[in-house]
Amino acid sequence: MITKLSLLLLLTARLALGGKTPASPAAAPACPHCQEVTAPAAKAAAAFSKESIYQLDARFTDDAGRACTLGDLRGRPVVVDMFFASCGYACPLLVTDMQAIRAKLPAGIRDRAAFVLVTFDVARDTPAVLAQYRAQRSLDGQWILLRGSDDSVRELAALLGVKFKQEADGAFSHSNILTILNPQGEIVHQRIGLKGGLDEAAAALAATVK
Amino acid sequence: MATLLRSVQRLVPGLALAVALAGGALAVPEAAPAARLIRIPGGVYTPLFRTTKDSAQITVAAFLLDERPVTNAEFLAFVTANPPWRRSQVSRLFADSSYLDYWTGDLEPGARAPANSPVVRVSWFATRAYARWVGRRLPTTAEWEFAAGAGYTRPDGKNDAQLNRDLYAWLARPVPDVQPAVARGRPNFYGVRDLHGLVWEWVDDFNNAMVTGESRADSGLERDLFCGAGSVGAKDTADYAAFMRVALRSSLKANNTTTALGFRCAKNTAP
Repeated sequence: MITKLSLLLLLTARLALGGKTPASPAAAPACPHCQEVTAPAAKAAAAFSKESIYQLDARFTDDAGRACTLGDLRGRPVVVDMFFASCGYACPLLVTDMQAIRAKLPAGIRDRAAFVLVTFDVARDTPAVLAQYRAQRSLDGQWILLRGSDDSVRELAALLGVKFKQEADGAFSHSNILTILNPQGEIVHQRIGLKGGLDEAAAALAATVK
Repeated sequence: MATLLRSVQRLVPGLALAVALAGGALAVPEAAPAARLIRIPGGVYTPLFRTTKDSAQITVAAFLLDERPVTNAEFLAFVTANPPWRRSQVSRLFADSSYLDYWTGDLEPGARAPANSPVVRVSWFATRAYARWVGRRLPTTAEWEFAAGAGYTRPDGKNDAQLNRDLYAWLARPVPDVQPAVARGRPNFYGVRDLHGLVWEWVDDFNNAMVTGESRADSGLERDLFCGAGSVGAKDTADYAAFMRVALRSSLKANNTTTALGFRCAKNTAP
């Protein structure tokens, strides 16, 4: 009886609390526009659609040492792949697949699309190493090679559904996923694995631009 | 009974107000609230699973770990200060549709989310954002498992019979509708509580789990591997709870939220 009574009191107290919550200035309801102005994160996020991976607040450096964000890719159809320069197995194949996808694109889209490689190996893949990779693979200006912090790489991988792990010898195990983004930065297609699917990927990329 | 209830109902408005006032002062922390950090000395963690390319043992440097999981009250302070992380505003990319869905409202945890109970139904992205906000980070798998490997009285808890009994008793219990309060669990050797027995917890590198060790395999095969090749490589097949943690981590996506999955923060030791 006593227990039930105190439970009832507690419950009532909580209900009362629930109804009376907040009141701190930050929590005060405001019009959406005011909130955009007062909350920097909300303002930045509002620039992109709710499904855009460009909402990710992560900074990268390209192989020329320039700082950039994923949002810089906005407006272009994109193929993005996570890789590492010293990979001797899957990564070179994925780059070849991206080149094949590019060759399958209609001319008008082929010249607008961006082909993005983001390295897992933030310790060893310096801008200089990435620049060397670009030269070795003859990647032209439509290819964007990026290196981020541990955090930005891990968050991007999570958004793309890419799992990875550094092994004892320093190499990385990783999922092999090519992701197609529309000009808003929304994932529209993924080619998973290393076989086939290039026509579908190219078609998905072409379909992002009307 | 009925009479008593009626008299309670008559009394309640005044009582409730008094409790609400007292509780209100406690429930809204002034600044970023945070659990006490416990120093975990460095050591060696032996992963449950490994492939032929992995190290048999991972050296864990000394680090600081929250004494107990993050609570509803603390998470409320976070979403209050960071509107994009409120339930109604968060992007589905960063938290799925059950994010905080046991709360009454955006800023009202309500009766199913007591202030001192662990926050659950939070995504990996949200927990990382919280950790950054309080100047901390999520623990890595190796750190979490190293700390959680301790018994009540010894750094190696493998043969701690009482710990194992408590752990399996917890695993056998269904998830309660309302989580009990944090920090009620018996502290382990280091003084950390609730690593076992309250909720599952996110780790920073959850998306390491169950990669195959071969780049050519795609991530869709992981579940198969857990049943087949994965179990062959396990060091200790008796550690059923550790198997469950690995299975849970490998099944999660970064925007997933679920009933009994919360988190705690960690921090580097001062250099």
